[in-house]
Amino acid sequence: MASNVGIEFLEKVSRLLSRQNKKPVLKPNRPLVLKDAVANRKLQKGEASCITEMSVLMACWKQNNFVDGLCTNEINTFYSCVKKAQTAAKNNSAENMGEEGRLHPQHATTLLRRHPNIRTEI
Amino acid sequence: MVFLVRWSRYNPYYLDPEVRKDVYSKTETELTAEEKEQQQLKAIRPIKAATNSVTSSVFDDPVLSKFINMMMKNGNKILAREIMTQTLEEMKRKQVEKYHKAAEGKKEEIECNPYTIFHQALENCKPVVGVISLKKGGRYYQVPTPLSDNRRRFLAMKWLLTECRDNKHRRTQMHEKLSQELMAAYIMEGNAIKKKHEMHKVAEANRAFAHFRWW
Repeated sequence: MASNVGIEFLEKVSRLLSRQNKKPVLKPNRPLVLKDAVANRKLQKGEASCITEMSVLMACWKQNNFVDGLCTNEINTFYSCVKKAQTAAKNNSAENMGEEGRLHPQHATTLLRRHPNIRTEI
Repeated sequence: MVFLVRWSRYNPYYLDPEVRKDVYSKTETELTAEEKEQQQLKAIRPIKAATNSVTSSVFDDPVLSKFINMMMKNGNKILAREIMTQTLEEMKRKQVEKYHKAAEGKKEEIECNPYTIFHQALENCKPVVGVISLKKGGRYYQVPTPLSDNRRRFLAMKWLLTECRDNKHRRTQMHEKLSQELMAAYIMEGNAIKKKHEMHKVAEANRAFAHFRWW
């Protein structure tokens, strides 16, 4: 049963802390209480968007000595690519609400905040 | 009871007021699904009070207002607006002078509307790519990135204003210098355009580091 497992764990912790048998294994300087928050980690490192468009634009600039009037096509393609990347990023972050399998750390934190760890006995 | 004013702000669910008249003259059929949702939301949610600087008149220009705000010092909006109107008047005067001196065939090519000149000059000053300082392996690299529209507009305005404030003779007035700078930017000359080109050059020089971005 879950309650049994909880009680066994607490007994083990008290054995590790006690000085009756041998030296205590744990000597905590802070109370052994879990935090009401989870660390924020972004699991996948994304990659830079629109690099090809940017390199094409820069090649055009190098050729035309940075005159903008001659590179309008490349500039427009670059802007459209940037817009697409931005909408994709927005949709991605909206989709990630689905959380296939794992809970997003932000959601976990809000849930833990609503049901915080008991710190006093009353 | 002390009410703190300095750090007070509206609750995030307050919506921004819609000042433009043409939005309200649209009929039911012309609205898209998103706009209908927005309208329904506006019927329920509270709306922030409109600031003093926005009007529902035809002449209200948010870009121009932003530029005036950036020019303003110590909250002296009256002075900033005066300078702006004087600048626009000077530009109009110069252009009308050119118009009357021009030959018959060339008259249509000269732009007399100072607002279009201002907008075009600002567009010419906006950089396409910017550089961001990223730390990798203990060293800071200048990584070329695409910029958002707001950031580009801000940089263009900032360059124009710093150039006008720093590189002028102490006797020239701000509106004179600003009008010269805007006219120059319209023809793609001047120091503000130079700053934009320098930014592009830096981005081009550091194009090898473009992969350091992760967004």
